[in-house]
Amino acid sequence: MGIHIVKRDACPLWKKALFYLAAVAAALVVCGILLLAMGVNPLTYYSRMFTMGMVGNKIAYKTFENYLNVFVPLALTSVALSLAFKMRFWNIGGEGQFIVGAIAASTVALKLKPPIVVALNNSEFSFSVSFGPILSELITLVLMCLAAMLAAGLYGALVAALKVKFGTNETLLTLMLNYVALYTLTFLGDKKADWNFFLQEESARPVFQSFSDTAAFPRIMLGKFGLNICVILTLIIGVLVFVYLRYTKRGYEINVVGDSAGTAHYAGMKVNRIVLRTVFLSACLIGLAAAFKMGTTGVLSTTITGDVGWTGIIVAWLAQLNTAAIFVVSALISMLHYGSVQANTMFSNVDSSFANMLQGVILFLVLTADFFIRFRIVRTKKGGNQ
Amino acid sequence: MKKFLALVMALAMTLSLAACGGSDAPASSGSGESVVAADLKVGAIYINSKNDTAGYTFAHHSGIVGGMEDLGLDPATQLFIVDEVPEDEQQVLAAVDTLVAQDVDIIFGISFGYIDAMEKAAAAYPEVIFSHGTGYKSNETNFNNYFGRAYQARYLAGIAAGLKSLEIGNNNVGYVAAYTTAYAETASGINGFALGVQAANPNAKVYVKNLGAWADEVNEKAYAEELINTFGCGVISQHCDSAQPQIAAQNAGVFGCGYNSDMTADAPQAHLTAAIWNWNVYYATAMQAAIDCEGDASQFVTKMGGPAYYGGLKEGFVDASPLTANCAANTDKAIEAAKKLMVDGEWDVFSGVKLTVAADGTITQADADLVDNAGNVIVAAGGPSVEDGVITGTMNYLVAGVEEV
Repeated sequence: MGIHIVKRDACPLWKKALFYLAAVAAALVVCGILLLAMGVNPLTYYSRMFTMGMVGNKIAYKTFENYLNVFVPLALTSVALSLAFKMRFWNIGGEGQFIVGAIAASTVALKLKPPIVVALNNSEFSFSVSFGPILSELITLVLMCLAAMLAAGLYGALVAALKVKFGTNETLLTLMLNYVALYTLTFLGDKKADWNFFLQEESARPVFQSFSDTAAFPRIMLGKFGLNICVILTLIIGVLVFVYLRYTKRGYEINVVGDSAGTAHYAGMKVNRIVLRTVFLSACLIGLAAAFKMGTTGVLSTTITGDVGWTGIIVAWLAQLNTAAIFVVSALISMLHYGSVQANTMFSNVDSSFANMLQGVILFLVLTADFFIRFRIVRTKKGGNQ
Repeated sequence: MKKFLALVMALAMTLSLAACGGSDAPASSGSGESVVAADLKVGAIYINSKNDTAGYTFAHHSGIVGGMEDLGLDPATQLFIVDEVPEDEQQVLAAVDTLVAQDVDIIFGISFGYIDAMEKAAAAYPEVIFSHGTGYKSNETNFNNYFGRAYQARYLAGIAAGLKSLEIGNNNVGYVAAYTTAYAETASGINGFALGVQAANPNAKVYVKNLGAWADEVNEKAYAEELINTFGCGVISQHCDSAQPQIAAQNAGVFGCGYNSDMTADAPQAHLTAAIWNWNVYYATAMQAAIDCEGDASQFVTKMGGPAYYGGLKEGFVDASPLTANCAANTDKAIEAAKKLMVDGEWDVFSGVKLTVAADGTITQADADLVDNAGNVIVAAGGPSVEDGVITGTMNYLVAGVEEV
């Protein structure tokens, strides 16, 4: 008796669903056994994790706001990364692009102090406009977004330019540029100096300077719950990217380049230009995610990315680069991360590594499920009959 | 079609949620009109894992658990921790929300960078007590900060190092520092240690290497080796997380003074004594004050006797760890005498009075200028101690006899 691996012609939807369901369930069981070994009741733990501790919580609205703060940058970064991945451009530099965007947005937020006055003065002509508080806020936020998008976009496009010009490896370059950005940020956070406007002047120890309120994104109050406008903007961008990829010529070009650069070239597409444009767009959106984050937290930190540049890669893959799926997966991964923090407070021996492990197990098992969706295992008897 | 995959995952999550929804923990006890010890709920925000077995978070976690046990509280049911929270305002505030949702009465934040978030949280939740380690911000009601006179313990370790340097006839003493003058905490640590060394050995010179990081095991070792090999140091002290400098001292056959915890086990042939923290002393004090508030968080700062707790040898908050057999003769007598002066409040390290340790371990006092290594007089002979605010906040000089290399 032997085993053959045979490619499936088609896998019905219910079967696919079953495989993925089984994968996630198996991951929960595997990690549940680990919880049991630590003397923790997995049911109590998981129920707390999936409800994110919002049941019987007098400030559940806060918990949900905090959850959305984790979700927004992750979803937007994952969507951005999927653009480049679709083209088989391995942008591992989400972290670096996010940081560069965050520094750019902070520069605008710290340098642009209200009231914003535009003045033109010369001998014949004098002109001055002073913007009111609402307009000042709008201008500040828009400039923060634009600055972050431009800075991050160029940081990403640099690698794309080197790739199309000299054929350099984008995986290595984006990876290394992550550390360039991270250590630049660490330096800014450590170095007290007259020129360093990122730090508080009055503190003897280096502490990042908080922005003024004009650099904060508005929130729509629904009772006590404040819905950050970035949530809505992120959803809109998600729809736009979906439409861009599926219904526009440029989106189609990305797919063709991803499938085969040679074919794209033969079809008369300007491959280099497409690569440059798409990577710039991808990094731009990561910069925008950074601007959203900065306009929500109101202060820099050396851990400002929350690892979205890394987690975003996992999300994009779990969602198989499908824009709609990315939103669902990032919602779930955020729930897993944030929910496990809520659950961990209840159990003294479970620390934050557990969420990472659970995420890893889910990833592996979903990939295994993928295998079984594409192939099936057939037993063969010695006689040759199946 | 692929988007269904993710929806399926969502479905899986939802189903497992429904499956175990019935076992949710009971609702919390609600408002605490009168908090007795048995009801006190303690929250803590850590920079590293609560499961650490060494280092900064471990020291605080042990202190909180120890303090709770001192007061008869049960850490298993009364302590709520959010760990691995980076110095990021949004994440610290989210951690505070998590703890407030658990109805905690007091929240300890152990890392300096939590400072602005702690201040905001104290204003947002006036019914909860906030206590921030190593910071300097506070209010008059529910928000204090705490730190300790580590320089006093370092002075005692300095005496041990100075006497050892006399015994081995080597006036060069080394010091691996996280930072030097960039932080008052590190500067006051170096100065306290150096003044202790000089009390025992007036000819001693303290060479300081600046790591530029609070923890960097590779360089902690490399810098200690450089101090031993290049600068000929016979005793190595440190202000960094790991015991690497002590291990390097042992490997080179010289001696050393550790920090944070007793490092004798790491380098039994080299270690003299370490400047150590007994964090449980503060945590028990603060939790007792929280209990005494009887549910009125605004009384906390009053109950603590002020917005900044700055305990030292007197409170037992810092100390020199038990002396090893590696110490020179009469080290115990000298340290005991110096410690008594500080415990009794008769004398302090950064004043215009210098202590001199004689060979038999007795101590004499004499007026002398406190001078920095650029020749500036910090405190004139006979003058009072440098203010606490300077020691914790702006001390940015190194005393005479210290050289940064």
